[in-house]
Amino acid sequence: MILSPGALLRVGLLLLVALVLQLSVLSQIHIVGGQADLVVLVVAAVAYYAGSVSGCATGFAAGFLLDLATGATMGASSLVLTAVGYGVGRLREVRDPSHGLLPIPVAAAATAGWVVAFAAVSFMLDIGARVSPLVIRDMVVTVLLNALLALPVFAGCRRLLRPSLVRDPLEARRRLRPPREAGPIGLRGMEV
Amino acid sequence: MYDKKAVRRRRAALAGFVALSLVILTAYFGESAGGFFHALQRGAQEAFAPIETGASKALKPVRDFFDWAGDSIDAKDQNEQLKEEVERLRSELAQAQTRRRDVRQLRGLVGLQRQEGFPEGTEPVAARVIARSPNVWYSSLKIDKGSGDGIRLNQPVIAATSDPSRRGPVGGLAGKVTRVTGGTAEVTLLTDGSSGVAAQIMPAGAAGVVKPEVGNPRDLLLDFVEGGKRVTEGTIVVTSGFKASRVESLFPRGIPIGEVTRVDLDEVELYQRVHIRPFADFRRIDMVQVLTRKPPAAETADVVTP
Repeated sequence: MILSPGALLRVGLLLLVALVLQLSVLSQIHIVGGQADLVVLVVAAVAYYAGSVSGCATGFAAGFLLDLATGATMGASSLVLTAVGYGVGRLREVRDPSHGLLPIPVAAAATAGWVVAFAAVSFMLDIGARVSPLVIRDMVVTVLLNALLALPVFAGCRRLLRPSLVRDPLEARRRLRPPREAGPIGLRGMEV
Repeated sequence: MYDKKAVRRRRAALAGFVALSLVILTAYFGESAGGFFHALQRGAQEAFAPIETGASKALKPVRDFFDWAGDSIDAKDQNEQLKEEVERLRSELAQAQTRRRDVRQLRGLVGLQRQEGFPEGTEPVAARVIARSPNVWYSSLKIDKGSGDGIRLNQPVIAATSDPSRRGPVGGLAGKVTRVTGGTAEVTLLTDGSSGVAAQIMPAGAAGVVKPEVGNPRDLLLDFVEGGKRVTEGTIVVTSGFKASRVESLFPRGIPIGEVTRVDLDEVELYQRVHIRPFADFRRIDMVQVLTRKPPAAETADVVTP
């Protein structure tokens, strides 16, 4: 990603909107006991389009904001979301994925990583009570809901980040396709 | 070929952010409640409050839509349940009227004039929930009333049940105030992993500590109930409001918490574990009441173990 004040402002606004929507709306809508997690989706989307360095920076910032706003243990969310952002960013850099439906497995994997790692960190830090097996059901529902939301969220993030991207994976894929046949006067369907 | 400079930059960024997170985590645990990061959290929450309030009000139709969709799916089942409930209540009504006559007579005999249930003189302040914790590990919510409305730290918070057809009290203890700003307050719910409330089973009086089962808001655990005490299903659990020589419970005596659903009897253990279904519906709290004043001293028990 091209590091510019505009890019920072865009990512910052994106995170703030995601955080407010998460706390005010999504956290209060329970579907089969679970809820969608927009913050991790946004972190994954930024990392997917902008790479590992931007991904881990966005993850850190998102976690920091999340901990500030929710009153949770400071640093726990940052630690996990930094790793999630880096992991998704590396996937893009190493594999260079370009399939249009790839945001779905990426979002599912990122969400699964986030809920499992955050549970582990919370459990190690300050959860002294017994844990119900229903937690696992809630985690699975969150992963499925995020997979459902992946395409629109990733598309929205891509549209917002596009002016600052050094290289857009979807644009690169489009360029690799052979040009469509055209007729002698440049109109399709008029081939000789 | 890969660019060594890019690799170094990438690794440095990862290491830097991870180290920064660990430093914040360590500092947060090491400092007191008045430390830098705690103060930063309070400030941020105060700054976020107007945005969250606005967003919560503006996007309420969206939440209502999802609630409506969920309710519609459940409506058929509920209809059947309610028909059964009506039948059951009709027969109970006849029994209750008979019991009422009996109770009047018994009341006269034993001089029982006190009203059962909720402690008096607590001055409840109603508040709307404007945000809630997004995960099960930190079970808290934020309300739109703060110190300006008389809300202080550690005050008990009660919430209503979403199922009016249920027997017993129509609401119960939801948690306590753990952070207060001028216009907002944070409530840590009973389902938070760190919570614990001294309670007793009514009318038997067996006492214990109510703790959550993280991730299952419909089940609380009453631990440390002596093995010899007989606990029956359906009995009500209330706050014990214990008062020892130096220690006093934050919650006044008599706030309903839930009803007993199951008892784990383990012959090896000294204590039995009682499962409670809370009266407050922790998944659907829109309004709460903060009890801003403690009842007179007579309302608290002298000493209740543990």
